Amino acid sequence: MSEWMIELKGTTKRYGMLLANDHIDLRIPRGELLTLLGPSGCGKTTAMRCITGHQRPDEGRVLIDGRDVTDLPTHKRDLGMVFQNFALFPHMTVYENVDFPLMIRSLPHEERRQRVTDALRLVRMDELADRYPRQLSGGQQQRVGLARALVYRPSVLLLDEPLSNLDAKLREEMRFEIKELVTQLHMTAVYVTHDQGEALALSDRVAVMKAGRIQQIGTPREIFEQPNSLFVADFIGLSDFIKARVEAVETKSVWVAVKGLRVRVQTEALLRVGQEVTLFIRPTRVDLLEQGAPAGENVFAARVLKLTYLGDNIDYRVVLPGDWEIRVQTNGQQYIPAGSSIKVRLPAKFCHIIAE
Amino acid sequence: MRFLPSRRREGLTTLLLLLPGFAVFFGLFVYPFIITIIQSLRPEGETTGWTLEYYGSFLSSAHGQQVIGLTFFLAIATTLLSVLLSVPLALILRRKIRGHRFFRAVPLIPLVIPGLIGALGLLLVFGSRGWFNLFLRDVLPFIHGPVAVDYTITGLTLFYVWLYFPYTLLTTLSTLEGLDPGIEEAAQVSGANPWKVLRHVVLPLIMPGILSGSVLTFMNAFGAFSIPLVAGGNYRPLSVDVYKQIQLFVPAHWSQACSIAVIMGVMQVAFLTFYMRVLRGRKVR
Amino acid sequence: MVKTYTRGLWNGRLILSYTLLVCLSIVIFSPFVVIIVKSFGKGWFGKLWLPPTLTLDWYKWAVNVARLPEVMKNTIIVVAMAVAMSTIVGIFSGWAFGRRHIPGKEVLMSMILLPRMIPPITYALGIARIFYGLNLVNTHFGIALAHVTLCAPYAILVMSATFEGLDERMLEAASVCGANPLRTFFHVTLPQIMPGILSSMIFTFTTSYNEFTLTLMTYGPDTLTLPIRTYLAVGEGYWEVTSAMSVIMVLPSLLILFLIQRQVKPEQLVGGFKGL
Repeated sequence: MSEWMIELKGTTKRYGMLLANDHIDLRIPRGELLTLLGPSGCGKTTAMRCITGHQRPDEGRVLIDGRDVTDLPTHKRDLGMVFQNFALFPHMTVYENVDFPLMIRSLPHEERRQRVTDALRLVRMDELADRYPRQLSGGQQQRVGLARALVYRPSVLLLDEPLSNLDAKLREEMRFEIKELVTQLHMTAVYVTHDQGEALALSDRVAVMKAGRIQQIGTPREIFEQPNSLFVADFIGLSDFIKARVEAVETKSVWVAVKGLRVRVQTEALLRVGQEVTLFIRPTRVDLLEQGAPAGENVFAARVLKLTYLGDNIDYRVVLPGDWEIRVQTNGQQYIPAGSSIKVRLPAKFCHIIAE
Repeated sequence: MRFLPSRRREGLTTLLLLLPGFAVFFGLFVYPFIITIIQSLRPEGETTGWTLEYYGSFLSSAHGQQVIGLTFFLAIATTLLSVLLSVPLALILRRKIRGHRFFRAVPLIPLVIPGLIGALGLLLVFGSRGWFNLFLRDVLPFIHGPVAVDYTITGLTLFYVWLYFPYTLLTTLSTLEGLDPGIEEAAQVSGANPWKVLRHVVLPLIMPGILSGSVLTFMNAFGAFSIPLVAGGNYRPLSVDVYKQIQLFVPAHWSQACSIAVIMGVMQVAFLTFYMRVLRGRKVR
Repeated sequence: MVKTYTRGLWNGRLILSYTLLVCLSIVIFSPFVVIIVKSFGKGWFGKLWLPPTLTLDWYKWAVNVARLPEVMKNTIIVVAMAVAMSTIVGIFSGWAFGRRHIPGKEVLMSMILLPRMIPPITYALGIARIFYGLNLVNTHFGIALAHVTLCAPYAILVMSATFEGLDERMLEAASVCGANPLRTFFHVTLPQIMPGILSSMIFTFTTSYNEFTLTLMTYGPDTLTLPIRTYLAVGEGYWEVTSAMSVIMVLPSLLILFLIQRQVKPEQLVGGFKGL
């Protein structure tokens, strides 16, 4: 038994001049749900198709459960897959769709019946077993797709943007169901999506991809709190960026100068004095204080330029001395009209440095 | 017309627009057909009186039954062979292999030439002194030749298939290309090897395309005229028999000819209706 | 696209595929090639792959003795008339079917296709009788009229699809931009429907040009068309002359096929039976 359930070792795939996957190294342990996240064209689908076998990498190897499957055709890899547009067999009923993998494996009838019923019950589609796909809603079709992928108990489940064709509310419900199922069945899963909210909510780890390479892998928290690049920081969540220059380096923090203001940043990165870096903070982590609040570290006077009422949140644009504009988001409880003079605090532990 | 309420005016305009089409349809199709039916019921050479003798004599005679049987045999054999040929071809042509544009244009050729010329060329190629037999003689001498297909049923079927298989191929190919590729991928991931994918998923889903194409092939084969005229030899399907009634006899056997023509038309329509029922039945599934 | 990885299996399939395709191409092309060769050959009576001598005699015969130029003239006149009439019928009916409300439209449209579904020989007899009575036999107009029976359904089908696809919003946009109905027609509508009209004309041309059965029933000594003349030549027994005539006859069709083969979708050629 291998330590890793799925491994991509230096897989590379080219389409003519386009480098879709550029020497990807990925190791997924048993039972983990890893999401490949990125904008369209970043190579996440190609990477998944290398795992399923629908694409053959030009270089590199693909391993599943320690076995080199790079030369193994798809139908021998024993994976489960859920598709974006469901890909149910239109000429078969729900029951027959889920029964298909078992029929192919020539399992005895009794066992097949048992397993199909169990799978359908798991996704709560047992009542509709006699319907045809065209008679089902999108959410129902996707659940049948799940059942079909799980019925032969593969050790790996692949999900290719399974929720993109569903409406927003349904997406949230299904997200939860999928995560529950995968955890319950102790499966290793690879999820592909461009929706960062989905990625953060579902995954044990997230691999953010751009232009064929993995930019960063980490837990949702790591990705969100400690992005290693401008791209990742910008792609996940809201960000405020500004160019800064390192003024002083201490053991666990750094002082940077931004437009004449000194900001302390809690970081363990190795930086030199005088280095040009990018300072970034999440708008939701900026504190809004009253004008009369006491001075302090990373506390600056500011003026509200404008605000947008979003219901659950309020989005502020404030300007600090030196014409430094920051976006701040708070919950709707604090309502500060435009033009007001206030103070903002950028807590050192929520400030980040990106040196590129 | 300006004084009519506008809805009436709309309807009238529509009617006027459809007039030429209706004129063609009724004047050049329905009316001639009716004339044919009437003539088939008149004794030869007379202008009055009704008789069913021509129907009776044709349907009960050995010659008549043979002709009907031959026509159906040719049509069915052609259709079956076309399907057997079209399905593998469609599966090959859907992949974008080198030169697929050229190979896709090849089956279009029998559609744009008159059957007559196709039959001519095929007779020359497959005749006892044609290239096919020369090929057998020089390259595969162990096959005892010459293999003569001119003026045989085998030859005739071959010519029919040559001319009419593209109908089946084109509809099958277009249905095949309309399939969602995700479905085949899903089947593979579920563990089905390529043959199983073909058998359980692809073939059932392209069946409507195969069927509608085979209808066209059947219809053309059933009503084929110029090829059996030229290459049929002693084998005369219904269409040629009609023509012979007019051509070989003086005065021409118009009534007999018309009766055979009506029988032919009725059979064609009956078959079509039956086939469409079957197709619709499948769709409901 | 799905690949199998065992290289040997993949190559085996590819070889098989190409073999089948090449065999098909040979079978499709060989009749034409042999006709072309035969039309230039002298003294070719079998036992040899190629004729011993080449000659243009048969073409000369076709032109001088069989009076092929006259036959071609007849053909062109008939085809031109048939295409013109069919296109007009097609445009009118197509406009009605494509843009106006007609109760029972679907039933009507399937009925329109009947002349192509029922073997032409069946109603050709009736047409022959009628034309005898009207003195339309042996006239160009008569033959063209008979052809229209077969061509018009195609034309109607193509034109109604074309007109149905005409987006009203484009015309509205044109008028908002300031174009009066006439200018809208020339600058917006016409370019949109031109491909449909061309397509319809090409199909009706091919149908009428190749039409044999109906022509056989309505022709006369003054109005021989290419298909009929070729058929008569077969009866006369001169295969070489027949070949020469066939070559001349097929050239335009093959040329058209070569020109349009990129644009045309397979279903269009089989004439709208997709809904069957």
